[in-house]
Amino acid sequence: MDPFLDYLQNQTRRQFLGDSGLRLGGIALAGLLGQSHASAAGGPAVHPRLPGFPQHAPKAKHIIYLHMNGAPSQLDLWDYKPGLQEHYDKDLPDSIRNGQRITTMTSGQARFPVAPSLFQFAQHGKCGRWVSELLPYTSQVVDELSVIKSVSTSAINHDPACTFVMTGSEIPGKPSIGSWLSYGLGSANDDLPSFVVLTPRSAGGQALFSRMWSSGFLPTRHSGVALRAGGDPVLYIQNPPGVESSDRRAMLDALEKLNAANHRALGDPEILARTTQYEMAFRMQSSVPDLVDLSKESQATFDLYGPEAKEAGTFAHSALLARRMVERGVRVVQILHRGWDQHNNLPKDIARQCKQTDQACAGLILDLKSRGLLEDTLVIWGGEFGRTVYSQGTLTQTNYGRDHHPRCFTMWMAGAGIKGGFSFGETDDFSYNVIRDPVHLNEINATVLHLLGIDHSRFTYKFQGLDQRLTGVEERRVIQELLA
Amino acid sequence: MRALPLLPAFLLLLALPHAQAAPRKVDFNRDVRPILSDNCFACHGFDAKKREAELRLDLPEGAYAIHDGVQAFKPGDPAQSEALRRILAQDPDEVMPPPKSHKKLTPAQVDTLRRWIDEGAVYQRHWSFEPLLKPTAPAAPASVSPVDSFLRAELKAHGLLPAPEASREQLIRRVTLDLTGLPPTPAEVDAFLADGAPGAYERVVDRLLGSPRYGEHMARPWLDAARYADTHGLHLDNERSMWPYRDWVVKALNDNLSFDQFTTWQLAGDLLPNATRDQRIASGFNRCNVTTGEGGSIAEEWLFRYAVDRTETTMGVWMGLTAGCAVCHDHKFDPFTAKDFYSMYAFFNSAADPAMDGNILLTPPVLQLATPEQEKQVAALDSQISTKKSAIREALAKIEYTDPATLNPPPPVQTGETVWFEDAFPAGAKVESSGLPTAPTALVSGPEAQVHSGKASLRRQAKGVSQDFFTKGASFAIPPNGVISVWCHLDPADQPKAVMLQFHVGGWNHRAVWGEEGAIPFGRVRTPEKVSMGKLPEPGKWVQLKVPADKLGLKPGMKVDGYAFTQFDGTVHWDRLSIEHRVEPAKDVQWSWKVWSEKKQGTRVEELPPDLQTLVRGKKAAEWSPAEVTRLKDWWLENEYQGAREVVEGVRAERLALEATKKTLSEQIPSTLVMADLPQPRQAFLMTRGQYDKPGEKVSRATPAVFPPLRTQGEPTRLDLARWLLAPENPLTARVTVNRLWQQFFGTGLVKSANDFGTQGDPPSHPELLDWLAATFRESGWDTKALVRLLVTTAAYRQSAELSPELLAKDPENRLLARGPRFRLDAEVIRDNALFVSGLLNPQIGGKAVRTYQPDNIWEPVGFSGSNTARYTRDKGDSLYRRSLYTFWKRTAPPPSMATFDAPARESSCLRRDRSNTPLQALVLLNDIQHVEAARAFAQRILKEGGTTAEERVRFAWRTVLARRPTAEENGIVQEVLQKHAARYAAAPAAAAGLVAFGESKPDPTLKPEDLAPWTLVANLVLNLDETLNK
Repeated sequence: MDPFLDYLQNQTRRQFLGDSGLRLGGIALAGLLGQSHASAAGGPAVHPRLPGFPQHAPKAKHIIYLHMNGAPSQLDLWDYKPGLQEHYDKDLPDSIRNGQRITTMTSGQARFPVAPSLFQFAQHGKCGRWVSELLPYTSQVVDELSVIKSVSTSAINHDPACTFVMTGSEIPGKPSIGSWLSYGLGSANDDLPSFVVLTPRSAGGQALFSRMWSSGFLPTRHSGVALRAGGDPVLYIQNPPGVESSDRRAMLDALEKLNAANHRALGDPEILARTTQYEMAFRMQSSVPDLVDLSKESQATFDLYGPEAKEAGTFAHSALLARRMVERGVRVVQILHRGWDQHNNLPKDIARQCKQTDQACAGLILDLKSRGLLEDTLVIWGGEFGRTVYSQGTLTQTNYGRDHHPRCFTMWMAGAGIKGGFSFGETDDFSYNVIRDPVHLNEINATVLHLLGIDHSRFTYKFQGLDQRLTGVEERRVIQELLA
Repeated sequence: MRALPLLPAFLLLLALPHAQAAPRKVDFNRDVRPILSDNCFACHGFDAKKREAELRLDLPEGAYAIHDGVQAFKPGDPAQSEALRRILAQDPDEVMPPPKSHKKLTPAQVDTLRRWIDEGAVYQRHWSFEPLLKPTAPAAPASVSPVDSFLRAELKAHGLLPAPEASREQLIRRVTLDLTGLPPTPAEVDAFLADGAPGAYERVVDRLLGSPRYGEHMARPWLDAARYADTHGLHLDNERSMWPYRDWVVKALNDNLSFDQFTTWQLAGDLLPNATRDQRIASGFNRCNVTTGEGGSIAEEWLFRYAVDRTETTMGVWMGLTAGCAVCHDHKFDPFTAKDFYSMYAFFNSAADPAMDGNILLTPPVLQLATPEQEKQVAALDSQISTKKSAIREALAKIEYTDPATLNPPPPVQTGETVWFEDAFPAGAKVESSGLPTAPTALVSGPEAQVHSGKASLRRQAKGVSQDFFTKGASFAIPPNGVISVWCHLDPADQPKAVMLQFHVGGWNHRAVWGEEGAIPFGRVRTPEKVSMGKLPEPGKWVQLKVPADKLGLKPGMKVDGYAFTQFDGTVHWDRLSIEHRVEPAKDVQWSWKVWSEKKQGTRVEELPPDLQTLVRGKKAAEWSPAEVTRLKDWWLENEYQGAREVVEGVRAERLALEATKKTLSEQIPSTLVMADLPQPRQAFLMTRGQYDKPGEKVSRATPAVFPPLRTQGEPTRLDLARWLLAPENPLTARVTVNRLWQQFFGTGLVKSANDFGTQGDPPSHPELLDWLAATFRESGWDTKALVRLLVTTAAYRQSAELSPELLAKDPENRLLARGPRFRLDAEVIRDNALFVSGLLNPQIGGKAVRTYQPDNIWEPVGFSGSNTARYTRDKGDSLYRRSLYTFWKRTAPPPSMATFDAPARESSCLRRDRSNTPLQALVLLNDIQHVEAARAFAQRILKEGGTTAEERVRFAWRTVLARRPTAEENGIVQEVLQKHAARYAAAPAAAAGLVAFGESKPDPTLKPEDLAPWTLVANLVLNLDETLNK
């Protein structure tokens, strides 16, 4: 290459890509050299990856993060404790609680009666995993899952705990895991966002926070784009009434010419970058409706996800959309399901929650697998903390509630690079404390980054004088044991 | 060098840095510190706990020290400098930084270090901690302002020249947008173009500085810094009343309150002697942080977090320092210890606001902003209430209470039933009905009719919400332990979605619903206003529905003066509404104090005052202190104990009525959260690893040791802290403040990291200019408007923004200012600009936040169901068109049209916004109803005010939005697309009608939709031009 061109290109690449915002090196260069800007098709990536990324050969190219907001009870789903029946309505031994803090919702309770799960557990799959009867479908795919029973968190309330699970820190203001991945890896699809969040249709249960998918201190374009069940799937994607795509095309052609004229007068490459964004917006106006149009999905596929899969805003529908997004190259899909905060009436409520999610979780795994997508898609399931073995409120033979419990809870991972039919970590007889292989949430995050080809300790962004990391300042390890 | 003139000019420019072959002397702060800070200080820096090999390289004493015969840096002798040897070492056990850090110095950095050692290894203190002295501006002709003379000296050093002045059109648009957040009108442009006298531009600036729009616009970045919003921010994220603070900021900026006053009032307005109302409102700065009311939260944790947030915000906003690291450990790079941080924190950890915000609008302490008349009314009510309270106390004192639970045998059980509806509504009641289909109240009887008891039942067939009710003419008292019951029959062939009973006590605030909770929209769910009772009764048979009166908030003694039978869809028969009561004093919470305290302990008792509520819920009865028991029991006797009704009820009802009146009055008086300290300060401790439950060493209030000392008599207060920030010897406040204003007008601060003036921040591009500005600002008496005027009247600001490829390559970020500033407008300005040119803008200043256009389902999918910001109801009429400053800001779901353009969530202090360029922004500006509506309104103006030909009209559009005339080429492009649109809408009048009707304001009826629609798209085009979106 001509050394001058080489110099110029390096200069501009460094200067434009090094700064915030979507500044396109190629476009800047074209502008610099006085060329008309490249067409979108031949132009630069809309979601470029950082130079040198991925840092090693990735196992996973996409992740689907299934977040059960409100915190599902590990005791009633995954963490089988048959011995608890003998302790029914007896007080939690002090030796187990060990003076640990509890929320002020139950700290005033006169006693802490042990509430064994009302649900039957059975062994499933070749691996013989114990799973609750609440998960009849997921129990059929346990040979694909690594179940981690020893995750803990430091937060005891929903708001900080959700912030922690999604951003690696309890304090608002840090980027979410999806934003980090969008920032590091970009995505190959120029017509869809690199990080998409699916929020549920029905309101109810504990709140969600936009900070769970926000970009924090990273450039704002890495924020998750919430694909919504009500209204337009992407905000403002629809033309106003009386405006057709052809009208918009005509207008955008004029806009392009006028901006180009302005660029000739001023020379600012941002002007051309803006035109590129308008073109992507125009393409999104057809790619997004195409994405959410399920009319070409077979009945067999709907059957995999369950009867609600045709209904927008349900978990099943979101799971099916997640598969369609992964097919189209979206880097991160985050599905949020609400209503797991079962302080009382747990047996009834958790059964309903499981019914809404169980079949679709399994369906998603099976669907991805049959299409060969599970090989490079990592699926993660979990909540923000666990629930107490003792009952909150009155304990009866048929009813109980469970308070927040940060000391242990269960998550599972499946797909790209993850061992199937594997279980990691153990809790004590009361599912109260971790007794083997404790896992910190930021070790989960470190493992996720590793599978996507990123060394979490070398994935930093300078903010407030610190090299900030998703996994925080403490040493965190990749959980090698989970890796296939 | 003779060959150079043959090269194109831009190559010459690029070659210049190489032409200056003689390297300038190494400057520690500029050249060396960043290298050491990035690579060495983490292990050999300030943080003693992390220090390796007892070697410290941040101070000369450490670096020059001889350990075991070796010296890290030996001044003048690179060869004998161990640190340099280790940096160059190949052996992985020897090389520094160690391989596991993944850090390595570049050859250029090594060379810099070598030269620095060679030149004597001279250390300097970090530049921003050095005292602020006013430098002399470089010599320049009188016509060149001092600011420009600094800039030009630097331009010259880079071989660059300033650009010529921008056109007057560009200039007035730039400065008007920058000072008011709105564009100039064509008349203002014309006046400026016509003003040939010297000082024309300065006159424009002075006019703009005097506009009330100035304060509104300048307030916005400050509110980002103050993390101002209209909700609490965590968990329920309920509404908070903080807007009087926002309005105060606008007013203070408009009045040009000096920055030292502006600072003092906000940090310590509550501590000023005889604090004025404005000073106390201003102290709300420290109440803008996010708070929680989440059940189960641990108080100590949140009090800690609030104090940390306030400390970090204060340090960030005034000192440009990130305290972040020192929360957990000694700062690795800056000379701040964790102790320094917690000594600052000690100024804030005695704030009087509670750990739990209570999810209420006005978490105390608050300031009511009553008129003198309202104040008199409140005082009168207070005195009457206090009279009633003493009367109640006296009455209670006379009661000799014996707990029935302690009696043997226990007192007898009493039962009874009162019928409210059987065959008819109560005598004298005025019966009404509402809903569709319209049908009078129908009582059916006879052998064919569905009747459960008596002779008749009430029947209604409905589409949507429909009801039979009365509110006047009869009333019923609620008995103790009342259980309301009604018989209900649903037609299996025509089932309702929901049935509801509603009761009227002064208002319709008591409801029980069976079936779909959301079908009938009345009442806030999960409150007595709307209690969900479960599934619909089985259809096709009579079913008795029951609900305890207490569950609906109907207390014994209350008078129900209306009820309603309500349904959504379906055919429903109702029969026999009655209330039963049954009292067993020995087991009754309203008769036995013992039973009450046992039953209620550990639960949430909404009726109790907040502190007693926390006590009952969070502490076992055995742990209540005698004083707490007395307070609780008095409360119980007064409010619950049925044996006291006779003696207390009359005066209690009067008290409740007075309190209700006071509440109504209070709700009309605006209030705002203000800062106050507890009478007895809390102790402060260094929290080990930043954990609220790991207090370590006790600390007292102090400022960081690296800075000049705090001057005070006695225990320092926030007022002393504010004065310390403003003291002449404080090196940071003035620098940080002028830098932020520079950033606002020029796009990037002289210190690019406007939020970080520490050693990890960026060094200033023009250190002397920064100091000159800071010193000038301080000398002026902290005159903000004078500083703003100074900045926008510089030649640098007034330059053309034209950019050559060579200049772009050389200075892409425009740090050197060889061209005028040009960058994308902020979110608020983009929206306000569209509203302004369209003529829709409602210029009203101040007041409660408004709920403008927002797509459906922004709040709903995220909001906690019990939150009062879970559902978005947009305002109507003029409120839709207020300036964006007044848009309601819910922190967990900020307005999307703002967030898309990089507005921060306001969860924490933001000193510098990102400026992204994304497709989602294009979608907002193309399709958002408010932008389309603005385009249509603007199109109306174009058609009515813009002349008669297309060419004239395009010119009008250009002048209104861009302040300039279009070129012939531009005019041609627009007319061409206009023709396309016109042809299309002429053939599709329905599409035209649909487009122009989009939005709440009505299209001008005198304009035909086929004429208006094409121009609406043209207006939309103009409002989407890159030039429109940039200043």
